[in-house]
Amino acid sequence: MIKIEIVDDLIDPFLSHDGRLEQGSELVFNGRVRSMENDQKIIALEYEQYDGMAESELKMIAQEVCQKYPITDLFCKHRIGTVAVGETSLHVVIWSKHRKEGLDSMTFFLGELKKRVPIWKWAILQDGTKIPSDCTHS
Amino acid sequence: MIKIKLKCFSQVKYALGKNEMVIEMKIGSTTSDLEQIVKQRSEGKLEHIDLSIAVNKKYVKDEVVLNDGDEVALIPPVQGG
Repeated sequence: MIKIEIVDDLIDPFLSHDGRLEQGSELVFNGRVRSMENDQKIIALEYEQYDGMAESELKMIAQEVCQKYPITDLFCKHRIGTVAVGETSLHVVIWSKHRKEGLDSMTFFLGELKKRVPIWKWAILQDGTKIPSDCTHS
Repeated sequence: MIKIKLKCFSQVKYALGKNEMVIEMKIGSTTSDLEQIVKQRSEGKLEHIDLSIAVNKKYVKDEVVLNDGDEVALIPPVQGG
């Protein structure tokens, strides 16, 4: 199953529970806002999305992941709007029978997300100035 | 003439100073023509930025002819995550 959500508030993580008897691997990734952007101290990042396209592109990538790897579930939440330093901007959970396909599919999903999903970051500096982030790390 | 709704994000928004704008173009104009117009209006600020193009919220790889009412975004390198 695939679940994709774009949220504009604190990310409420997907529930981990003991009822999954067939999946030996539950892999969780949380992307968080760092305090430095291009050697400048920031107080937050503001995430901007292309409304509608960001979610559909995320769903498309998740479907590709499920075709390419034998995983059972991929859940993803991406936050937009202002995200303070230290807070989670991206939360992904992948369940699979074994860890290898979980790790491989997570790497693929995050790599494609960073290449294709129309979401951008604006760095908010300590004086409140907002500038486009140059950060495009893969 | 046709009217194209241009959506601006990140560096494109920064360069043009607008979230969106309507651009009038000749019938038969393409995505490449639009990219040229936008780059001219940006006064050099987008010269070294690699832009992908989405028409009606879908990426297009090749040059396509635009239709009246199309929504186009010139997409600078994305930064999700």
